[in-house]
Amino acid sequence: MFDFIAYPLANLILLLYAYLGQNTVVAIAALTLIINMAMLPLTLSQQKSSRKMQELQPEMEKLKKKYGKDQERLSQETMKLYKEKGINPAGGCLPLLIQMPIWFGLLGAIRYCIPSTPLEMFQFSRNIYHWLPGIIGLVPLQSTFLGMDLGQPPNAIQWWSYALPLLVGLTSWLQQKLLSPSTPSAPSSSDSPPSQTEMMTKQMQIMMPLMFMMFTLNYATGLSIYFIISSLIRIAQYYLIKDGGKEDSATQKRAAAKQK
Amino acid sequence: MKLSRLLRWPILLIVLAVLLASTSGCVCGGPPRATSWTDLTLQDDKIYAADLQQIQILGTDGELIQSVPENSDDNTAGLIYVAPAVGEGYLIVAGQNPPQGFLSQATYPVVKLDIETGKELWSFGPKNDKGQYVGGAQGQYIEGGVISDGTFVIGNSDGNVYALDVDTGDLKWQFKTDHRVWATPLIADGIVYIGSMDHHLYALRLSDGEELWKFAAPGDGAFASTPALQDGILYIGTFANRVYAIDADNGTEIWRFPAEKPGDSWFWGSPAVDGDAVYAVDVKGTVYKLDAGTGEEFWHSKLAPKKSNDKDAPVRGGPALTEDGSTLLISSENGTLYALDVDDGSEMWAEEGEGKGYVTPVVDGDIVYQALIQGSYRIRALEITDDGDELWVYPLPEESETGE
Repeated sequence: MFDFIAYPLANLILLLYAYLGQNTVVAIAALTLIINMAMLPLTLSQQKSSRKMQELQPEMEKLKKKYGKDQERLSQETMKLYKEKGINPAGGCLPLLIQMPIWFGLLGAIRYCIPSTPLEMFQFSRNIYHWLPGIIGLVPLQSTFLGMDLGQPPNAIQWWSYALPLLVGLTSWLQQKLLSPSTPSAPSSSDSPPSQTEMMTKQMQIMMPLMFMMFTLNYATGLSIYFIISSLIRIAQYYLIKDGGKEDSATQKRAAAKQK
Repeated sequence: MKLSRLLRWPILLIVLAVLLASTSGCVCGGPPRATSWTDLTLQDDKIYAADLQQIQILGTDGELIQSVPENSDDNTAGLIYVAPAVGEGYLIVAGQNPPQGFLSQATYPVVKLDIETGKELWSFGPKNDKGQYVGGAQGQYIEGGVISDGTFVIGNSDGNVYALDVDTGDLKWQFKTDHRVWATPLIADGIVYIGSMDHHLYALRLSDGEELWKFAAPGDGAFASTPALQDGILYIGTFANRVYAIDADNGTEIWRFPAEKPGDSWFWGSPAVDGDAVYAVDVKGTVYKLDAGTGEEFWHSKLAPKKSNDKDAPVRGGPALTEDGSTLLISSENGTLYALDVDDGSEMWAEEGEGKGYVTPVVDGDIVYQALIQGSYRIRALEITDDGDELWVYPLPEESETGE
């Protein structure tokens, strides 16, 4: 489905593998890093949008109290508020949607470079860019890492391979927790039950890591490596750009105060 | 708020579902996705075809003689893709049992079956009290094994070559390589020649698995096919886009093709050798005739796709030669079987088939058998000398249940 992205990325993995010591984990890490860097503007835009929504929560609560019984009016007022604050409600989702095909392609690329089935390998054999320097003869990549076969799912013989799905779950949970928009504990909301958004956010914070963990239990451990590295990079990105975000927010607040 | 909720969460869930479906290959309601190809063995005028749940034994007229085991529910080997090894009154098959539930492991047994009764005579790996396979190989068997001097030798995706006692199923020895072993071994004069994805071709002593020599291709590249042997020289292709001639006694290189710059695609199938000529085909469907002594090219010919929507004719298996050495037969992924004149590589005929062809065709006198997957039949027989007229297909389309 995403082969048009997977083939170029798989060839890029081969190139990185050829020039980074012929180490599969290093090649996957490098590609994940490159892609994250390339998508940094989108990630920033997504986080900015999340932060704006977060800042809007107290006003949203007020609107909910005022128009809670009239859903149509509430929607209208909410949209009006978004317009006033210059927020695109889809702003958090669109970057995510744009990034998704790339992530799917990356997953496919990893499967092509460390294939566990011959049909996958045959399919890729005709899509290797033989004109790239140094990549002839590299497929399948060396698939042993810490005694585990990166092309095979975790198994009881290599019992330590089960640590990888656990790490996937842990890093994914941490990433979710840091990046999900947290609702502020506004005094008004302390007595009222949590909103649907809050509940869904909390559910997603648990469900997503669990799903990724279950998924990686049944698939090649190479994918676990990718998930872990990807989460770690996003966590690192969060901390690196957090201060910048705070400055942004403070500037906005100062501007708002001046207007008043 | 309402709009943002509508936009955010359902999209995330849909995206997650697509992620899981696309990466798992799940096709809800359909048959399981094929992970490999099914192969066949021709012996004593009978075709032994791997058919996932059973081995189908056919006459050369395409009539089903017997299914082993008779009832697919009695199959203990799991899904059988690889060609069975045929002995006196028995078959040795390698299968795979996919995981049966959450956290369960796939198992990969090798099973010896009595042809008459279909009963299991032994299995490797061993079973636990519940009759489930435990231990044994840890990866898929991609190509079949060979029986020689009371030993069954087979390579596995876990990187090992396993040698089992044909009578008891006991492990005689195992040899560990550094990557997957996806090739059928060649056994000659008590020596096992087998390639590994670790970029080496190994020569192992059949009696004890002792390594006699190993050959690494200078430009690197995995070995995934069975070498062809003639007059003490092994001929084999690599994933580094070359064909090599290697001295079978000591593993030294005699020649390589192309001699300078590597070609532009893999040689996955086994070459065919006949007198002073070696025939090899790469995965993009270019067929080469080389001088067996020097590796110089006599000719090359690119297979032409026959179906309107095919851009090329990819080939995974190797070429097969007719007994008189006059015709090369090649099965392409898009199901077409090609017959080429060995003198100049010109196409004598090409017959489109239904399904996908990944294995080397099997020649039996004037007839060639082609194994196919994902079509309405799994095997077909064609008349070589009569422009590839189709003699029969198995199963007849209305009998096919899975199309696998």
